[in-house]
Amino acid sequence: MIRTWLALRRAGVLGINERNLRLINDFNPRKLMRLVDDKTQTKSLANAAGIQTPELYGIIRAPSEMRKLEKLLDHPDGCVIKPANGSQGNGIQVLLGPMRGGWRRSNGQRALLEDLKFHVNNILSGMYSLAGLPDFAMIEYRVKFDDVFDPISFGGVPDIRIIVLRGIPFVAMVRLPTAESDGKANLHKGGVGVGLDLVTGRTKHGMQNGKITDIHPDTANPLANVSVPHWDDMLLMAAKAYDVTGLGYLGADIVLDKGKGPMLLELNARPGLAIQVANRMGIRPLMEAALVADTEGLDAEGRVALAKTLYRRFVPEPAPA
Amino acid sequence: MSSTTHTRLLALLLTVISLTIFGIKVFKYNYPLAPGAQTTTWDFEIYLDFNTANQPVRIETFIPAAGETRRVSQEQYYNGAFGLRLESDADAGRKAIWTYRYPDDRKVLRYRARLESETQSSPLPPEMHDSIKRGAPDELSDLERQAFIVWSSDMRRRSADNESLAELVLQEIFVEKDADEVDALLPNLPPPLDRLTLAAEVLQSQGIRARVANGIYLDEARRRTEIQHWLEYRVDGEDKRYFPGADPKEFFTIWYGTEEMIRADGVFDFDPQISIQPIEAAANDVVRRAAREDRTPVELFSFDRLPVTTQLVYQVLITIPAGIVLLVFMRQFIGIETLGTFMPILIGIAFRETALLNGLILFTMLVGLGLAMRFYLEKLRLLLVPRLAVVLIFIVICMAVIAQVFNSANMRMGLSISLFPMVILTMTIERMSIMWEEYSPTDAIKAGAGSLLVASLAYLVMTNTHIEYILFNFPELLLVLMAACLLMGKYTGMRLSEVWRFRELAGTDGAGK
Repeated sequence: MIRTWLALRRAGVLGINERNLRLINDFNPRKLMRLVDDKTQTKSLANAAGIQTPELYGIIRAPSEMRKLEKLLDHPDGCVIKPANGSQGNGIQVLLGPMRGGWRRSNGQRALLEDLKFHVNNILSGMYSLAGLPDFAMIEYRVKFDDVFDPISFGGVPDIRIIVLRGIPFVAMVRLPTAESDGKANLHKGGVGVGLDLVTGRTKHGMQNGKITDIHPDTANPLANVSVPHWDDMLLMAAKAYDVTGLGYLGADIVLDKGKGPMLLELNARPGLAIQVANRMGIRPLMEAALVADTEGLDAEGRVALAKTLYRRFVPEPAPA
Repeated sequence: MSSTTHTRLLALLLTVISLTIFGIKVFKYNYPLAPGAQTTTWDFEIYLDFNTANQPVRIETFIPAAGETRRVSQEQYYNGAFGLRLESDADAGRKAIWTYRYPDDRKVLRYRARLESETQSSPLPPEMHDSIKRGAPDELSDLERQAFIVWSSDMRRRSADNESLAELVLQEIFVEKDADEVDALLPNLPPPLDRLTLAAEVLQSQGIRARVANGIYLDEARRRTEIQHWLEYRVDGEDKRYFPGADPKEFFTIWYGTEEMIRADGVFDFDPQISIQPIEAAANDVVRRAAREDRTPVELFSFDRLPVTTQLVYQVLITIPAGIVLLVFMRQFIGIETLGTFMPILIGIAFRETALLNGLILFTMLVGLGLAMRFYLEKLRLLLVPRLAVVLIFIVICMAVIAQVFNSANMRMGLSISLFPMVILTMTIERMSIMWEEYSPTDAIKAGAGSLLVASLAYLVMTNTHIEYILFNFPELLLVLMAACLLMGKYTGMRLSEVWRFRELAGTDGAGK
């Protein structure tokens, strides 16, 4: 055990204690964290800075506004109902489009207006919010996922997580849904995390449930060497997220729309550390470098360039496929 | 100054302050580091019940006196309309004197105190160390004096030193009871005072400090306890006691000499009662400390001055920080997941009411039932707050049913359940069910088990008598606990659970691959 502990230390693996103390405590003042807990606020901040997000169709703030629901749901391509303060992807209802007097759910079943009203009511009562506090329901554009990840995902929503320190993107992964995770990309529900090379945006190794894997458990396709399209745009979005929120340590969750390109889904002020397993490396050396890097006078583009230089200093270019 | 240096300095400062006070208490004032071994604490009461007939009343009674070697605390006098005067006599002891000029009717006077028992190994009061004059007592007639001197020098001749002399005298007086010389010398007192007095006088005449002591034996709770008499003497710097009859394990000395304990004038139907009752062990150390008469400056840092009931509350409270330090360690260093930050401590405190095993069983049972209810309610698709309320009511019903079932099965466990904090249970159920949904059943059960593990450990720490004793008597050590938490608050190393979580990365180097 002690030998493993020492080996991990040598490998530069960051623990929760250190993350809490050196990153979250030092860089994320509590009053800024509020900005990202509320997704409506994140969305408006991002839009103001020119970061693309799924279009917001409307918000239901109280049961008295329930009359608006039917009209808000009226989109031929479907839409998504989600709690503004939700966490872990709970309470998200994806509707693919109209279906015989109701709406088709992502699992193919039909949802009636009554069912959806009940769901919105639950959101409003705080069933899915962080502290059980009353919440809002957002109805927004349903992302049409780019098919680049189709060979290595099973249903649901693949998304890209980029961790940004002092505005410098420094480590990234893509999260893929599996049968086990029930279409969700959450790693602790059994989703697969695949490390991304920060410079090229190409996938490296994968992990599921804390164990290293090289193939997707359901499709059996190799996880490595998939190039993420619009990679530089995504890095730029993540870097800009720092400018609009002021959070020194944040995780940007980005999805890729087939037509509209990358969209910022949400920001996380306490991104986890499993990304180290997905990337098969400890992030402390990179973190230390990003902590002392000189960002004076650099805009988002400048910081992305800086990020790539820093990253290459520690991680060699992967051999081409 | 960086915040890390700041924290370290603060922790150092707190530790130094705390250990300084601790050191002063232990080395300068000889505070014991462990609970006293044999002595126990007793409630002592003198209850005087009598009738009066409109004539002046005067009641004198010896009462226990605190001294260097004796602990008396929480003295209370119930005087009624009587005047009370306390009188101390260095030779005999302390007296309470109640007086009233024109009483009528039935009266009751009471004296209560808490005593710490003495044992054979308790030292004698310091006045026993003084040197004494030798020779026969003054009040004897010439003939008696002659006999006394003859007999005592005979004793002296037959012994080798002071110690064997004392043994021989006691042997002759108390065991070989048929010796005529002894009978002739016995003073006119009721037994065993006569023989004790003679023994004391003989020993004194031979230069051995000795006197008759009177008091009570502390053996078990008694409504009426008898006054006992014994001899205390000091041979060659060694404190000794001689009890006629069997040696008591614990006793308490009230006064010296041959006077009666209680003297009453102007009363009839006089019924004095002396009752004793042991105080349960938990209260023991509290009283022991409270009983110290010698106040020192460092005692500002102790709870001695508070009333005993308050002290008992603090005795529970003061162990909570120890549990909290344990909790912090388990979370920051081991990485055990728990439900809520301080929930395990609350559960641990709840276990105090039920004892550990019962507590674990009850807790698991109730949380299990509550979770089942919670998942059933899930089907009904209720809104949040009403659903919580239903779970809470369900828990109360479960508790009532369990209490009934166990009560009719004659198990004590059922009765303690009513004290088991219900809100803690409901909160645990809700948090666990949220975790169940948001993460997975495995995570929820893991966190529940983690909470119970930490709660059990915290319970064991918080009820450990040694920890309780140390913290209660040296509350300044809380600063050390605080310093420990400060330092743990700056721990950036990996948790044990993370060593497991990231084990796959152990082979890599810092730069990745």
